[in-house]
Amino acid sequence: MTRWLARRALQAVLTFAVVTVLLFVLMRLTPGDPLQRLEGDRQLSAEAAAALRHRFGIDQPLSTQFGDFLGGVVRGDLGVSIEHYPTKVSTLVLSRLPASLLLGGTVLLLTFGIGITLGVYQAVHRGRRLDHWLTNSSLALYAMPSFWLGLVLAWFFGIRLHLLPVAQMHDPLLGANASWLVRAGDVARHLILPAATLTAVSLAAVMRYQRTALLEVLRLDFVLAARARGLPERQVLWRHAWRNALFPVVGLLGLWLPILVTGSVFVEQVFNWPGLGSLAADAVSARDYPVILGTAMLVSAQVLLGGFLADVAYYALDPRVRGA
Amino acid sequence: MTGSLWRLLLRALTSPSGRLGAIVIALLTLFVFVAPWLLPDPSAMPDLVAGALPPGAGHPFGTDQLNRDILSRVVTGGQISLSVAGLAVLLAVTLGALVGGLAGFAGGWLDSALMRLVDGALAIPRLFILLMLVAVWEQMPLGALVLVLGATGWFATSRIVRGEVLRLRNAEFVLAATALGAGPGRIILRHLLPNVAGPLLVAATLGVGDVILLEAGLSYLGIGVRPPTPSWGSMILDARPLLTTAPWTSIFPGLAIAITVLAVNLFGDALRGALDPRSA
Amino acid sequence: MRRCFRAVVLFSVLLSPLAVASAAGQEATREETVVIVVGQEPASPIPTLLGNSAANQEYTDLLFLPLARLGPNNITTGDKDFIPQLAKSWSRPDSLTLIFEIDSRARWHDGAPVTARDAALALNLARDSTVDPQRALLLQHIAEVTAPDDSHLVVRFSEAYDEQFYDAVYHVSPLPSHLVASVPRGTLAQSGFAAAPVGNGPYRWVRRIPGQQLELTANDAFFLGRPGPRRVLILSVRDPEARINLLLSGSADVLTNVGALADVTRVSADKRIRIIPVPSFSVGYLSFNQRDPADLERPHPILSDPAVRAAIIKALDRRAIVEATFGPWSAVPEGPVPQLSWIRDAAFRPAPADPVGARALLRAQGWTDSDGDGVLDKGGKPLALGLSYPSQSAPRGQMALQVQEQLRQVGVRIDINRLDGPVWSERRNRGNFDIDFASSTMDPSPAGIVQSWGCAGRGGANKTYYCDPKVDSLLGLALHAPRKEALALYRQTVRTIVADAPAVFLYAPTTPVAVSDRIRRVEIVPSAPWSALWKWAPGPSR
Repeated sequence: MTRWLARRALQAVLTFAVVTVLLFVLMRLTPGDPLQRLEGDRQLSAEAAAALRHRFGIDQPLSTQFGDFLGGVVRGDLGVSIEHYPTKVSTLVLSRLPASLLLGGTVLLLTFGIGITLGVYQAVHRGRRLDHWLTNSSLALYAMPSFWLGLVLAWFFGIRLHLLPVAQMHDPLLGANASWLVRAGDVARHLILPAATLTAVSLAAVMRYQRTALLEVLRLDFVLAARARGLPERQVLWRHAWRNALFPVVGLLGLWLPILVTGSVFVEQVFNWPGLGSLAADAVSARDYPVILGTAMLVSAQVLLGGFLADVAYYALDPRVRGA
Repeated sequence: MTGSLWRLLLRALTSPSGRLGAIVIALLTLFVFVAPWLLPDPSAMPDLVAGALPPGAGHPFGTDQLNRDILSRVVTGGQISLSVAGLAVLLAVTLGALVGGLAGFAGGWLDSALMRLVDGALAIPRLFILLMLVAVWEQMPLGALVLVLGATGWFATSRIVRGEVLRLRNAEFVLAATALGAGPGRIILRHLLPNVAGPLLVAATLGVGDVILLEAGLSYLGIGVRPPTPSWGSMILDARPLLTTAPWTSIFPGLAIAITVLAVNLFGDALRGALDPRSA
Repeated sequence: MRRCFRAVVLFSVLLSPLAVASAAGQEATREETVVIVVGQEPASPIPTLLGNSAANQEYTDLLFLPLARLGPNNITTGDKDFIPQLAKSWSRPDSLTLIFEIDSRARWHDGAPVTARDAALALNLARDSTVDPQRALLLQHIAEVTAPDDSHLVVRFSEAYDEQFYDAVYHVSPLPSHLVASVPRGTLAQSGFAAAPVGNGPYRWVRRIPGQQLELTANDAFFLGRPGPRRVLILSVRDPEARINLLLSGSADVLTNVGALADVTRVSADKRIRIIPVPSFSVGYLSFNQRDPADLERPHPILSDPAVRAAIIKALDRRAIVEATFGPWSAVPEGPVPQLSWIRDAAFRPAPADPVGARALLRAQGWTDSDGDGVLDKGGKPLALGLSYPSQSAPRGQMALQVQEQLRQVGVRIDINRLDGPVWSERRNRGNFDIDFASSTMDPSPAGIVQSWGCAGRGGANKTYYCDPKVDSLLGLALHAPRKEALALYRQTVRTIVADAPAVFLYAPTTPVAVSDRIRRVEIVPSAPWSALWKWAPGPSR
């Protein structure tokens, strides 16, 4: 087990190294001088401008730049933001990470929780009207652009019905002395709409996967045997069949992270959720290359880590895989 | 090759959802490329004073904040979105087939190196690669957008093709062909590609839906298709301030995206089901 | 399925007290707090030293008091039209010296008294061109700043001119010398003081969450009076829709700039919100690049001809464009003169559009439509120009379309380049444009015209490289003349500039500031918007 684990971990680290190189190359495709705008607007003195150039490493040859960059990544130093100079990129990125994780984690839980439940339901009631209706509506939601759905929900629940807040993560008016319970409740209220939007557009895939996997398992012999033994249907379903149908869905978890991260860029923009997605979108508008790079790196690391964890879960759950 | 593809398509059309998807796609494509002759000019003179008018006589979808007919803009935007998606996916599938085929066929260090690269590229969410490229490019023209969308979409396809090639490389009919003196090019073209065509078609169809959503998203962020060229995504962006006062300005472009992507996904699903009945 | 249903019910029951609790927790502090929502993240409030562009330093007034403020007429000449703040009184021993007496009641937020040394330090830092090159240029006429004792500040000038007082008080506010003097000059931006400034104004710094909000709390020891609002929150929200939503939902009380006309109409429909028109120091203009963007050493092939520029200006109906875009929320300026400038001629009316005259002017210069395509040409080259504007400015986008249409009717083809902010900025700086649609916030002093429209400003704010030595000499004369003569000279300067046609001076906007109805005694000073915020009286939400 440990050998497999070590091998898999090494694989992830190597892939991350490739990611680093790819991102560096993409970044350095910059034509012209990214700092010219900074100087032009702020009218820095000549010394300050030279210091900035040195800080961003623009005056070095490419190989030195890459060496510095790699060294920085290992140390956790991703450079300094152009737009929010002199804030460090790592500071900005880390400040947004909790919000991203909260939104991402909630969406993951909801998508898989609801998706699995509905998928099982569909498999059990295969062919009936509800099965078709669920498939069709989930596909329809899947086809909607997440930002558009977000706008519609924000308008309906936030402005029309005035039920839920439509922007940011918490109420700025909450005093510094409010209890943690009140704070948690406040954040939860703000979380509802963005999480609902992202969950809605992602449900279809999980539902479909679970339905297919369960249908396949239900056809297998051991299920027939369990039924023949006289076990109640519910036990057959949940204790025997579903366990085996869970594996492909766990595999889906690993693939899901990139999609989740992508969707969050748009939804965070719409709801002004202070996560990594909106940071990246703002950085692109501002042409803040170091921040875009830093965000891309962190997000890729998240994806690789998620994939690794999903594989570990798969490995731990399924004895058949261990033999492989 | 075309024979098996035809069969695949016909099988896909036997399912009701596949039929629905195909019909909607056909209608959309027809409408979007033919209708402009019948509709008012979408780049007509902007009239700030008249502003956004609700759907009514002469404007079935209403007008936007510059009093331009929304139906015309949705149709023109459709031309752009569908063309961009179609071309980008074509590029992506071609690249994926080439790289995947090469990796699978050549094997050895080239295969490892290429697949390492693909692993790395797959770890970075596609949108972030696009964001970086847009930031680097000062003002990305439409052609470059297509290129960039295509160049970021071939990774998963290459994996699929590589898998197929690996599987078939040692199959009997390939060995037989080699024994008969067929060169690698002929083997690839006559024997390997036809087997990959099915999965490629499925990947392409589903990929179109992804690209439409991506392009709309980028346009919504203001960095995709740029004004004055209409695009569904940028129409929704422009419609944001009017959400409460003129909701039709954002409803119709959004519906257009949703219906198109839904149709494409339904048909792609049917194709996938026709390819591998167990996944239905 | 029933198990799931029960789980869902249980989950919601558990969550509901959180929802109720969070709703209850808000009412207690909302009454006493004023929440301002802005578009751009507030830059550091330290008035000097960080060389920021005009990016949102308005809240500086909440933290730092200047020596004196501009009076209601925004007059920048002489010593009389200013309102005492940190300086209780001032005197003038001769025409080159000003002496300020610091109000002994003033205290820094850490309790230390405000002394003349603090004012001297701030002025000397600002005069140091290695620290703040922009301000050093503005303060170049100050020869020496000293503090002979705690309560007297002596400012000596190198020449006699009427805006000495303005220069001494407007550009920089005193800083606490006991905290700042020990910090090495180059590192002030990164210092602890910059991260948590200590001021002397009605509000003190609490904390800042980068990219989101800034929190200030009332300074009860403020010597001019007890602040009404106990807490001030400044939220920075990039998205204009989200800003309006925050206002409409009641989460925010003040929106500094509501935005386009459609937004203003939408917000004013809500009876709980008041819209206050605040005239601004901004002017929007279409500037003509006098240099060839392809080769900066040579003059522009089309726009270096003054007749062509004059024709373009003639062809435009500025009033119609401004009214269609802003409605009543903007005036048409007579030149680079904002609404609040004291040299403004209130009787000015823009000339009506004269497309026939414009065509005649162009024809006289040899521009005819020889190929019948609707666009004039000369020597095989069409009269086509690019118009660049930053994408985040929707009003400029709308105006650009109207300009394009109006000029099309006289045979000039305009290609609109909608550029992302940073790209637009970079191209401006590089001189890579034909017509640039800029909006600049001007100095209250008309002497600031030299920055964008004087020969001395080339390479700096003067992006078009327009240069007329007459303008520079007139500005020099006006600076040294007493007020009445100065007014006439400044007006003549403006007329000279307008006659040279370096730009189309299109709009001088009024900022629509939205304030929630629950706040009474709202006073907004146009030259320093939040300086009177401490006098507001927030009440319970209606």
